[in-house]
Amino acid sequence: MTPDEMVQAIRSQFGEAVKASEVKGVEARMDINREKSYELLARLKEMGFGYLNCVSSVDWIASGELEAVYNLSSLKEPTKVLVRVRVPREDPVIRSVVSLWSTADWHEREAYDLMGIRFEGHPDLRRILTSEDWVGYPLRKDYRDERLVPYEPY
Amino acid sequence: MNTPETEITEHVQETMEEMYVNMGPQHPSTHGVLRLMLKLDGEVVTEVVPYIGYLHRCHEKIGENRTYIQIIPYTDRLDYLASMYNNFGYVLAVERLMGLQVPERAEYMRVILAEMQRIASHLIWMGTFGLDLGNFTIFMYCFREREKILDMFESVSGQRLNYSFYRFGGMPLDFPESFLTDCKAFLEWFKPRLHEYDAMMTDNIIFQKRVQGLGKLDQKTAIDYAISGPMLRASGIKWDLRRNDPYSIYDRFEFDIPVGSTGDVWDRYMVRRLEMAESVKIVEQAIRQLPPGEIMGKVPKKLKPPAGDIYSRVESPRGELGFYIVSDGSEKPYRYKVRSPAFVNLSVLPIIGPGHLVADMVAILGSIDIVLGEVDR
Repeated sequence: MTPDEMVQAIRSQFGEAVKASEVKGVEARMDINREKSYELLARLKEMGFGYLNCVSSVDWIASGELEAVYNLSSLKEPTKVLVRVRVPREDPVIRSVVSLWSTADWHEREAYDLMGIRFEGHPDLRRILTSEDWVGYPLRKDYRDERLVPYEPY
Repeated sequence: MNTPETEITEHVQETMEEMYVNMGPQHPSTHGVLRLMLKLDGEVVTEVVPYIGYLHRCHEKIGENRTYIQIIPYTDRLDYLASMYNNFGYVLAVERLMGLQVPERAEYMRVILAEMQRIASHLIWMGTFGLDLGNFTIFMYCFREREKILDMFESVSGQRLNYSFYRFGGMPLDFPESFLTDCKAFLEWFKPRLHEYDAMMTDNIIFQKRVQGLGKLDQKTAIDYAISGPMLRASGIKWDLRRNDPYSIYDRFEFDIPVGSTGDVWDRYMVRRLEMAESVKIVEQAIRQLPPGEIMGKVPKKLKPPAGDIYSRVESPRGELGFYIVSDGSEKPYRYKVRSPAFVNLSVLPIIGPGHLVADMVAILGSIDIVLGEVDR
Protein backbone atom coordinates (compact mmCIF):
# COMPACT_ATOMS: atom_id res chain seq x y z
CA MET A 1 0.00 0.00 0.00
CA THR A 2 1.49 3.34 -0.99
CA PRO A 3 1.38 6.23 1.50
CA ASP A 4 -1.09 8.11 -0.73
CA GLU A 5 -3.55 5.21 -0.84
CA MET A 6 -3.23 4.80 2.88
CA VAL A 7 -3.97 8.47 3.59
CA GLN A 8 -6.94 8.31 1.18
CA ALA A 9 -8.38 5.27 2.95
CA ILE A 10 -7.95 6.81 6.39
CA ARG A 11 -9.38 10.15 5.32
CA SER A 12 -12.46 8.56 3.75
CA GLN A 13 -13.13 6.54 6.90
CA PHE A 14 -12.36 9.12 9.56
CA GLY A 15 -13.15 12.34 7.74
CA GLU A 16 -12.71 15.30 10.00
CA ALA A 17 -10.77 13.45 12.66
CA VAL A 18 -7.74 13.84 10.39
CA LYS A 19 -6.85 17.49 10.77
CA ALA A 20 -3.97 17.54 8.30
CA SER A 21 -1.98 15.08 6.27
CA GLU A 22 1.02 15.12 3.99
CA VAL A 23 3.14 12.54 2.21
CA LYS A 24 6.92 12.81 2.36
CA GLY A 25 8.58 10.10 0.29
CA VAL A 26 7.50 6.78 1.75
CA GLU A 27 6.26 8.39 4.94
CA ALA A 28 2.70 9.55 5.48
CA ARG A 29 2.17 12.14 8.20
CA MET A 30 -1.12 12.86 9.89
CA ASP A 31 -2.35 15.21 12.59
CA ILE A 32 -5.41 13.75 14.21
CA ASN A 33 -7.98 14.51 16.87
CA ARG A 34 -7.51 12.81 20.17
CA GLU A 35 -11.12 11.59 20.31
CA LYS A 36 -10.50 9.24 17.39
CA SER A 37 -6.81 8.51 18.00
CA TYR A 38 -7.31 4.99 19.32
CA GLU A 39 -9.72 3.95 16.57
CA LEU A 40 -7.48 5.41 13.90
CA LEU A 41 -4.36 3.71 15.21
CA ALA A 42 -6.26 0.45 15.51
CA ARG A 43 -7.32 0.80 11.89
CA LEU A 44 -3.70 1.43 10.87
CA LYS A 45 -2.68 -1.71 12.68
CA GLU A 46 -5.33 -3.65 10.74
CA MET A 47 -3.92 -2.19 7.54
CA GLY A 48 -0.62 -3.90 8.24
CA PHE A 49 1.33 -1.39 10.29
CA GLY A 50 2.02 -3.86 13.03
CA TYR A 51 5.33 -2.42 14.19
CA LEU A 52 5.24 0.56 16.53
CA ASN A 53 8.72 2.03 16.31
CA CYS A 54 8.44 4.81 18.79
CA VAL A 55 6.15 7.02 20.82
CA SER A 56 7.55 10.50 21.41
CA SER A 57 6.16 13.53 23.15
CA VAL A 58 6.56 17.21 22.35
CA ASP A 59 5.67 20.26 24.42
CA TRP A 60 4.18 23.03 22.25
CA ILE A 61 4.08 25.59 24.99
CA ALA A 62 3.29 28.54 22.69
CA SER A 63 -0.08 27.05 21.76
CA GLY A 64 -0.56 25.47 25.19
CA GLU A 65 -0.56 21.92 23.91
CA LEU A 66 1.26 18.65 24.41
CA GLU A 67 1.73 16.25 21.55
CA ALA A 68 2.24 12.52 21.28
CA VAL A 69 3.91 11.25 18.13
CA TYR A 70 3.55 7.66 16.98
CA ASN A 71 5.91 6.17 14.41
CA LEU A 72 4.46 3.13 12.71
CA SER A 73 5.91 0.86 10.08
CA SER A 74 5.47 -2.65 8.83
CA LEU A 75 8.03 -5.38 8.43
CA LYS A 76 6.77 -6.13 4.93
CA GLU A 77 6.44 -2.82 3.11
CA PRO A 78 8.57 0.33 3.06
CA THR A 79 5.59 2.60 3.84
CA LYS A 80 5.86 4.41 7.19
CA VAL A 81 3.35 6.46 9.12
CA LEU A 82 3.83 9.29 11.58
CA VAL A 83 0.76 10.18 13.60
CA ARG A 84 0.57 13.26 15.81
CA VAL A 85 -2.03 13.77 18.49
CA ARG A 86 -2.30 17.09 20.30
CA VAL A 87 -3.94 17.59 23.67
CA PRO A 88 -4.37 20.72 25.78
CA ARG A 89 -1.89 21.16 28.64
CA GLU A 90 -4.67 21.49 31.22
CA ASP A 91 -6.11 18.12 30.32
CA PRO A 92 -3.35 15.98 28.79
CA VAL A 93 -5.17 12.69 28.40
CA ILE A 94 -4.85 10.32 25.45
CA ARG A 95 -6.22 6.82 25.18
CA SER A 96 -3.45 4.27 25.62
CA VAL A 97 -2.52 1.93 22.77
CA VAL A 98 -0.93 -0.75 24.95
CA SER A 99 -3.78 -3.09 24.00
CA LEU A 100 -2.73 -2.71 20.35
CA TRP A 101 1.04 -2.82 20.75
CA SER A 102 2.65 -4.04 23.96
CA THR A 103 5.76 -2.04 23.17
CA ALA A 104 3.76 1.13 23.87
CA ASP A 105 3.86 0.19 27.57
CA TRP A 106 7.31 1.60 28.31
CA HIS A 107 7.11 4.35 25.72
CA GLU A 108 3.92 5.69 27.27
CA ARG A 109 5.33 5.42 30.75
CA GLU A 110 8.29 7.46 29.57
CA ALA A 111 6.05 10.10 28.01
CA TYR A 112 4.04 10.23 31.24
CA ASP A 113 7.16 10.43 33.37
CA LEU A 114 8.99 13.15 31.47
CA MET A 115 6.19 15.05 29.73
CA GLY A 116 3.16 14.42 31.87
CA ILE A 117 0.82 13.03 29.24
CA ARG A 118 -1.63 10.68 30.92
CA PHE A 119 -2.52 7.59 28.94
CA GLU A 120 -6.01 6.42 29.75
CA GLY A 121 -6.30 2.66 30.02
CA HIS A 122 -2.61 2.03 30.53
CA PRO A 123 -2.27 -1.05 32.77
CA ASP A 124 0.57 0.30 34.89
CA LEU A 125 1.16 4.01 34.45
CA ARG A 126 4.09 4.74 36.76
CA ARG A 127 7.20 6.84 36.44
CA ILE A 128 9.93 4.89 34.71
CA LEU A 129 13.16 6.87 34.40
CA THR A 130 12.93 9.28 37.32
CA SER A 131 12.26 8.15 40.86
CA GLU A 132 8.72 7.54 42.04
CA ASP A 133 8.59 10.63 44.26
CA TRP A 134 9.73 13.03 41.57
CA VAL A 135 7.74 16.23 41.30
CA GLY A 136 6.97 17.76 37.93
CA TYR A 137 7.63 16.69 34.38
CA PRO A 138 11.24 17.45 33.39
CA LEU A 139 10.87 17.62 29.64
CA ARG A 140 8.21 20.33 29.71
CA LYS A 141 9.53 23.66 28.55
CA ASP A 142 8.38 25.45 31.69
CA TYR A 143 9.94 22.92 34.07
CA ARG A 144 12.07 24.64 36.68
CA ASP A 145 14.17 23.02 39.34
CA GLU A 146 15.92 25.19 41.89
CA ARG A 147 18.82 22.75 41.94
CA LEU A 148 19.47 23.43 38.27
CA VAL A 149 22.42 25.59 37.42
CA PRO A 150 21.26 28.18 34.91
CA TYR A 151 22.89 27.78 31.56
CA GLU A 152 23.74 31.19 30.16
CA PRO A 153 24.86 31.46 26.57
CA TYR A 154 28.15 33.31 26.04
CA MET B 1 -1.90 -35.53 68.71
CA ASN B 2 0.86 -33.85 66.82
CA THR B 3 4.27 -35.45 66.87
CA PRO B 4 7.31 -33.18 66.51
CA GLU B 5 7.82 -34.46 62.93
CA THR B 6 4.36 -33.52 61.70
CA GLU B 7 4.66 -30.16 63.42
CA ILE B 8 7.80 -29.45 61.48
CA THR B 9 6.20 -30.56 58.19
CA GLU B 10 3.19 -28.37 58.82
CA HIS B 11 5.38 -25.48 59.71
CA VAL B 12 7.35 -25.88 56.48
CA GLN B 13 4.17 -26.08 54.44
CA GLU B 14 2.71 -23.01 56.10
CA THR B 15 5.81 -20.94 55.61
CA MET B 16 6.46 -22.07 52.02
CA GLU B 17 5.58 -19.03 50.06
CA GLU B 18 6.71 -17.06 47.09
CA MET B 19 9.60 -14.81 47.77
CA TYR B 20 10.78 -11.54 46.30
CA VAL B 21 14.43 -11.16 45.48
CA ASN B 22 16.13 -8.05 44.22
CA MET B 23 18.66 -8.74 41.50
CA GLY B 24 20.71 -5.59 41.25
CA PRO B 25 21.04 -2.62 41.05
CA GLN B 26 24.59 -3.70 41.93
CA HIS B 27 24.94 -7.07 40.31
CA PRO B 28 27.73 -8.15 38.00
CA SER B 29 25.48 -9.74 35.42
CA THR B 30 23.24 -6.72 34.94
CA HIS B 31 26.05 -4.93 33.07
CA GLY B 32 25.38 -1.65 34.78
CA VAL B 33 22.80 -0.49 37.24
CA LEU B 34 19.61 -2.34 36.49
CA ARG B 35 17.32 -3.68 39.17
CA LEU B 36 15.19 -6.73 38.54
CA MET B 37 12.52 -7.63 41.04
CA LEU B 38 12.21 -11.39 40.88
CA LYS B 39 9.32 -13.29 42.37
CA LEU B 40 10.54 -16.76 43.17
CA ASP B 41 8.77 -20.03 43.76
CA GLY B 42 11.67 -22.05 45.08
CA GLU B 43 14.32 -21.62 42.45
CA VAL B 44 11.91 -20.83 39.66
CA VAL B 45 11.22 -17.27 38.64
CA THR B 46 7.51 -16.58 38.35
CA GLU B 47 7.60 -12.85 37.72
CA VAL B 48 10.17 -10.32 36.59
CA VAL B 49 9.78 -6.58 36.99
CA PRO B 50 12.63 -4.46 35.66
CA TYR B 51 13.29 -1.11 37.34
CA ILE B 52 15.37 1.23 35.24
CA GLY B 53 16.45 4.84 35.45
CA TYR B 54 19.45 4.57 37.76
CA LEU B 55 21.63 6.02 35.02
CA HIS B 56 19.15 8.62 33.82
CA ARG B 57 20.93 11.86 33.07
CA CYS B 58 18.36 13.88 31.11
CA HIS B 59 20.03 13.24 27.78
CA GLU B 60 17.06 14.64 25.88
CA LYS B 61 16.71 17.73 28.06
CA ILE B 62 20.42 18.45 27.71
CA GLY B 63 20.01 18.07 23.96
CA GLU B 64 17.33 20.74 23.88
CA ASN B 65 19.73 23.21 25.46
CA ARG B 66 22.66 22.58 23.15
CA THR B 67 23.29 23.43 19.52
CA TYR B 68 23.11 20.60 17.03
CA ILE B 69 26.86 20.06 16.85
CA GLN B 70 27.24 20.19 20.63
CA ILE B 71 25.00 17.15 20.94
CA ILE B 72 27.39 14.83 19.06
CA PRO B 73 29.65 14.18 22.09
CA TYR B 74 26.58 13.41 24.19
CA THR B 75 25.41 10.74 21.77
CA ASP B 76 28.68 8.88 22.41
CA ARG B 77 27.55 8.30 25.96
CA LEU B 78 24.29 6.63 25.00
CA ASP B 79 25.52 3.24 23.91
CA TYR B 80 29.10 3.60 25.01
CA LEU B 81 30.09 0.27 23.48
CA ALA B 82 29.08 1.42 20.00
CA SER B 83 29.78 5.16 20.03
CA MET B 84 30.54 5.32 16.32
CA TYR B 85 27.09 4.04 15.57
CA ASN B 86 25.36 6.57 17.79
CA ASN B 87 27.27 9.34 16.05
CA PHE B 88 26.25 7.81 12.74
CA GLY B 89 22.57 7.68 13.64
CA TYR B 90 22.41 11.21 15.02
CA VAL B 91 24.44 12.80 12.25
CA LEU B 92 22.35 11.03 9.63
CA ALA B 93 19.12 12.29 11.21
CA VAL B 94 20.26 15.92 11.12
CA GLU B 95 21.59 15.53 7.58
CA ARG B 96 18.23 14.18 6.47
CA LEU B 97 16.49 17.05 8.19
CA MET B 98 18.70 19.60 6.44
CA GLY B 99 19.12 17.74 3.15
CA LEU B 100 22.91 17.75 3.34
CA GLN B 101 24.98 15.76 0.85
CA VAL B 102 27.87 13.65 2.03
CA PRO B 103 30.91 13.03 -0.22
CA GLU B 104 31.48 9.51 -1.47
CA ARG B 105 34.69 8.92 0.43
CA ALA B 106 33.17 10.05 3.72
CA GLU B 107 30.30 7.59 3.22
CA TYR B 108 32.75 4.74 2.82
CA MET B 109 34.74 5.88 5.84
CA ARG B 110 31.54 5.92 7.85
CA VAL B 111 30.61 2.40 6.85
CA ILE B 112 34.10 1.03 7.55
CA LEU B 113 34.18 2.56 11.02
CA ALA B 114 30.59 1.62 11.78
CA GLU B 115 31.05 -2.02 10.85
CA MET B 116 34.32 -2.26 12.76
CA GLN B 117 32.38 -0.86 15.69
CA ARG B 118 29.74 -3.54 15.24
CA ILE B 119 32.44 -6.21 15.45
CA ALA B 120 33.88 -4.59 18.59
CA SER B 121 30.43 -4.35 20.18
CA HIS B 122 29.55 -7.97 19.42
CA LEU B 123 32.94 -9.03 20.77
CA ILE B 124 32.23 -7.32 24.08
CA TRP B 125 28.84 -8.94 24.15
CA MET B 126 30.24 -12.38 23.47
CA GLY B 127 32.97 -11.96 26.05
CA THR B 128 30.72 -10.76 28.83
CA PHE B 129 28.06 -13.30 27.95
CA GLY B 130 30.69 -16.03 28.32
CA LEU B 131 31.72 -14.46 31.60
CA ASP B 132 28.12 -14.52 32.85
CA LEU B 133 27.96 -18.23 32.14
CA GLY B 134 31.32 -19.01 33.72
CA ASN B 135 33.50 -19.15 30.63
CA PHE B 136 36.26 -16.76 31.54
CA THR B 137 38.62 -17.61 28.70
CA ILE B 138 36.34 -16.33 25.93
CA PHE B 139 36.25 -12.99 27.73
CA MET B 140 40.03 -12.64 27.44
CA TYR B 141 40.01 -13.74 23.82
CA CYS B 142 37.30 -11.26 22.82
CA PHE B 143 38.96 -8.38 24.62
CA ARG B 144 42.24 -9.17 22.89
CA GLU B 145 40.58 -8.67 19.49
CA ARG B 146 38.61 -5.65 20.59
CA GLU B 147 41.78 -4.02 21.83
CA LYS B 148 43.17 -4.08 18.30
CA ILE B 149 40.04 -2.40 16.96
CA LEU B 150 40.26 0.27 19.65
CA ASP B 151 43.90 0.87 18.73
CA MET B 152 42.82 1.48 15.15
CA PHE B 153 40.02 3.81 16.24
CA GLU B 154 42.54 5.66 18.36
CA SER B 155 44.78 6.13 15.35
CA VAL B 156 41.81 7.59 13.46
CA SER B 157 40.06 9.74 16.04
CA GLY B 158 42.44 10.02 18.99
CA GLN B 159 39.91 8.42 21.32
CA ARG B 160 39.43 4.88 22.46
CA LEU B 161 35.81 4.83 23.54
CA ASN B 162 33.88 8.06 22.95
CA TYR B 163 34.96 9.08 19.50
CA SER B 164 32.66 11.96 18.46
CA PHE B 165 34.11 11.40 15.03
CA TYR B 166 31.19 11.98 12.67
CA ARG B 167 30.27 15.45 11.50
CA PHE B 168 27.31 16.83 9.61
CA GLY B 169 28.13 16.55 5.93
CA GLY B 170 31.16 14.31 6.21
CA MET B 171 34.08 13.36 8.39
CA PRO B 172 36.49 15.76 10.14
CA LEU B 173 39.72 13.91 9.33
CA ASP B 174 40.84 11.44 6.72
CA PHE B 175 42.20 8.03 7.69
CA PRO B 176 45.86 8.11 8.70
CA GLU B 177 48.20 6.43 6.21
CA SER B 178 48.61 3.24 8.19
CA PHE B 179 44.90 2.68 8.85
CA LEU B 180 43.90 0.76 5.74
CA THR B 181 46.86 -1.64 5.90
CA ASP B 182 46.25 -2.11 9.63
CA CYS B 183 42.60 -2.75 8.97
CA LYS B 184 43.27 -5.33 6.25
CA ALA B 185 45.84 -7.06 8.42
CA PHE B 186 43.38 -7.11 11.30
CA LEU B 187 40.63 -8.66 9.22
CA GLU B 188 42.97 -11.39 7.95
CA TRP B 189 44.03 -12.05 11.49
CA PHE B 190 40.49 -11.88 12.84
CA LYS B 191 38.80 -14.39 10.53
CA PRO B 192 40.54 -17.48 11.95
CA ARG B 193 39.82 -16.13 15.46
CA LEU B 194 36.11 -16.65 14.82
CA HIS B 195 36.82 -20.37 14.59
CA GLU B 196 38.55 -20.20 17.93
CA TYR B 197 35.32 -18.84 19.41
CA ASP B 198 33.46 -21.67 17.74
CA ALA B 199 35.75 -24.21 19.35
CA MET B 200 35.30 -22.55 22.72
CA MET B 201 31.62 -21.62 22.66
CA THR B 202 29.62 -22.78 19.65
CA ASP B 203 30.83 -26.38 19.59
CA ASN B 204 31.00 -26.61 23.34
CA ILE B 205 28.39 -29.14 24.40
CA ILE B 206 28.19 -27.68 27.93
CA PHE B 207 27.41 -24.25 26.53
CA GLN B 208 24.89 -25.65 24.07
CA LYS B 209 22.99 -27.56 26.74
CA ARG B 210 23.10 -24.52 28.97
CA VAL B 211 21.46 -22.06 26.61
CA GLN B 212 19.32 -24.01 24.16
CA GLY B 213 15.62 -23.56 24.77
CA LEU B 214 16.08 -20.69 27.22
CA GLY B 215 14.07 -17.49 26.98
CA LYS B 216 12.15 -18.30 23.83
CA LEU B 217 10.63 -15.35 22.03
CA ASP B 218 8.15 -16.11 19.28
CA GLN B 219 7.69 -13.94 16.20
CA LYS B 220 4.32 -12.54 17.14
CA THR B 221 5.48 -11.34 20.53
CA ALA B 222 8.67 -9.99 19.02
CA ILE B 223 6.73 -7.76 16.62
CA ASP B 224 4.21 -6.84 19.30
CA TYR B 225 7.06 -5.59 21.48
CA ALA B 226 8.84 -3.98 18.49
CA ILE B 227 12.00 -5.95 19.19
CA SER B 228 14.78 -5.10 16.77
CA GLY B 229 18.28 -6.07 15.84
CA PRO B 230 19.86 -9.47 16.45
CA MET B 231 17.14 -10.33 18.94
CA LEU B 232 14.42 -9.95 16.28
CA ARG B 233 16.44 -11.89 13.72
CA ALA B 234 17.01 -14.68 16.24
CA SER B 235 13.24 -15.15 16.30
CA GLY B 236 13.36 -15.94 12.59
CA ILE B 237 12.35 -12.59 11.11
CA LYS B 238 14.70 -11.49 8.38
CA TRP B 239 14.67 -7.78 9.07
CA ASP B 240 17.75 -5.62 8.95
CA LEU B 241 17.52 -1.89 8.28
CA ARG B 242 20.79 -2.03 6.39
CA ARG B 243 18.96 -4.16 3.84
CA ASN B 244 15.28 -3.29 4.28
CA ASP B 245 15.53 0.49 4.67
CA PRO B 246 19.02 1.20 3.34
CA TYR B 247 20.75 4.34 4.56
CA SER B 248 24.16 5.73 3.69
CA ILE B 249 25.64 3.33 1.09
CA TYR B 250 24.66 -0.02 2.55
CA ASP B 251 22.81 -0.98 -0.61
CA ARG B 252 26.16 -1.34 -2.41
CA PHE B 253 27.47 -4.22 -0.36
CA GLU B 254 26.78 -7.91 -0.47
CA PHE B 255 26.18 -9.52 2.86
CA ASP B 256 23.89 -12.12 4.38
CA ILE B 257 21.44 -11.57 7.18
CA PRO B 258 21.75 -14.44 9.65
CA VAL B 259 18.46 -15.52 11.21
CA GLY B 260 17.58 -17.95 13.95
CA SER B 261 14.58 -20.22 14.20
CA THR B 262 13.22 -20.52 17.73
CA GLY B 263 14.32 -17.22 19.25
CA ASP B 264 16.03 -18.73 22.27
CA VAL B 265 19.29 -17.61 23.84
CA TRP B 266 21.23 -19.97 21.60
CA ASP B 267 19.80 -18.35 18.47
CA ARG B 268 20.67 -14.90 19.73
CA TYR B 269 24.19 -16.08 20.33
CA MET B 270 24.45 -17.60 16.85
CA VAL B 271 23.03 -14.54 15.09
CA ARG B 272 25.62 -12.27 16.70
CA ARG B 273 28.42 -14.73 16.08
CA LEU B 274 27.52 -14.94 12.37
CA GLU B 275 26.98 -11.19 12.08
CA MET B 276 30.61 -10.60 12.95
CA ALA B 277 31.62 -12.54 9.84
CA GLU B 278 29.16 -10.49 7.75
CA SER B 279 30.60 -7.23 9.09
CA VAL B 280 34.05 -8.46 8.06
CA LYS B 281 32.70 -8.97 4.54
CA ILE B 282 31.27 -5.44 4.43
CA VAL B 283 34.49 -3.84 5.65
CA GLU B 284 36.51 -5.78 3.08
CA GLN B 285 34.26 -4.65 0.24
CA ALA B 286 34.27 -1.06 1.48
CA ILE B 287 38.07 -0.96 1.67
CA ARG B 288 38.29 -2.35 -1.88
CA GLN B 289 35.85 0.27 -3.24
CA LEU B 290 37.08 3.23 -1.14
CA PRO B 291 37.38 6.16 -3.56
CA PRO B 292 39.76 9.09 -3.17
CA GLY B 293 38.40 12.61 -2.85
CA GLU B 294 36.77 15.06 -0.49
CA ILE B 295 35.68 14.03 2.98
CA MET B 296 33.60 17.06 3.91
CA GLY B 297 30.57 18.32 2.02
CA LYS B 298 29.24 21.84 1.84
CA VAL B 299 27.86 22.70 5.25
CA PRO B 300 26.75 26.16 6.39
CA LYS B 301 28.83 27.70 9.20
CA LYS B 302 25.77 28.19 11.37
CA LEU B 303 23.63 25.11 11.47
CA LYS B 304 19.95 25.99 11.39
CA PRO B 305 17.78 23.16 10.06
CA PRO B 306 14.46 24.25 8.56
CA ALA B 307 11.43 23.97 10.83
CA GLY B 308 10.03 20.46 10.73
CA ASP B 309 10.53 17.06 12.26
CA ILE B 310 12.10 13.78 11.29
CA TYR B 311 12.28 10.25 12.57
CA SER B 312 15.46 8.67 11.30
CA ARG B 313 16.60 5.17 12.14
CA VAL B 314 19.71 3.08 11.70
CA GLU B 315 20.62 -0.51 12.51
CA SER B 316 22.94 -0.21 15.48
CA PRO B 317 24.60 -3.36 16.90
CA ARG B 318 21.66 -3.60 19.30
CA GLY B 319 18.83 -2.89 16.91
CA GLU B 320 16.85 0.02 15.61
CA LEU B 321 18.41 3.23 16.86
CA GLY B 322 16.01 6.05 16.07
CA PHE B 323 16.31 9.79 16.49
CA TYR B 324 13.20 11.93 16.48
CA ILE B 325 14.20 15.57 16.06
CA VAL B 326 11.83 18.52 15.99
CA SER B 327 13.35 21.72 14.67
CA ASP B 328 11.82 25.17 15.06
CA GLY B 329 14.36 26.74 12.71
CA SER B 330 16.75 27.81 15.46
CA GLU B 331 20.22 26.48 16.14
CA LYS B 332 19.01 24.20 18.92
CA PRO B 333 16.58 21.34 18.50
CA TYR B 334 13.11 22.06 19.87
CA ARG B 335 12.73 18.42 20.83
CA TYR B 336 15.29 15.70 20.64
CA LYS B 337 14.23 12.16 21.36
CA VAL B 338 16.20 8.94 21.21
CA ARG B 339 14.52 5.65 20.51
CA SER B 340 17.10 3.33 21.96
CA PRO B 341 17.01 -0.33 20.93
CA ALA B 342 18.10 -1.67 24.31
CA PHE B 343 15.26 0.18 26.09
CA VAL B 344 12.67 -1.46 23.86
CA ASN B 345 14.33 -4.87 23.84
CA LEU B 346 14.53 -4.92 27.63
CA SER B 347 10.79 -4.31 27.91
CA VAL B 348 10.10 -7.87 26.76
CA LEU B 349 11.97 -9.40 29.71
CA PRO B 350 8.78 -9.77 31.85
CA ILE B 351 7.45 -12.02 29.06
CA ILE B 352 10.46 -14.22 28.34
CA GLY B 353 11.88 -14.36 31.87
CA PRO B 354 9.28 -16.23 33.97
CA GLY B 355 9.43 -20.00 34.13
CA HIS B 356 13.20 -20.18 34.28
CA LEU B 357 15.66 -20.74 37.09
CA VAL B 358 17.36 -17.77 38.72
CA ALA B 359 20.67 -18.84 37.21
CA ASP B 360 19.09 -18.82 33.76
CA MET B 361 17.84 -15.26 34.22
CA VAL B 362 21.46 -14.23 33.98
CA ALA B 363 21.77 -15.94 30.61
CA ILE B 364 18.50 -14.48 29.30
CA LEU B 365 19.33 -10.98 30.44
CA GLY B 366 22.79 -11.29 28.93
CA SER B 367 21.36 -12.44 25.62
CA ILE B 368 19.28 -9.24 25.28
CA ASP B 369 22.53 -7.27 25.15
CA ILE B 370 21.54 -4.17 27.06
CA VAL B 371 23.72 -1.15 27.64
CA LEU B 372 22.31 0.85 30.51
CA GLY B 373 23.68 4.12 29.21
CA GLU B 374 21.24 3.73 26.37
CA VAL B 375 18.33 2.28 28.32
CA ASP B 376 18.26 5.11 30.84
CA ARG B 377 19.52 7.98 28.71
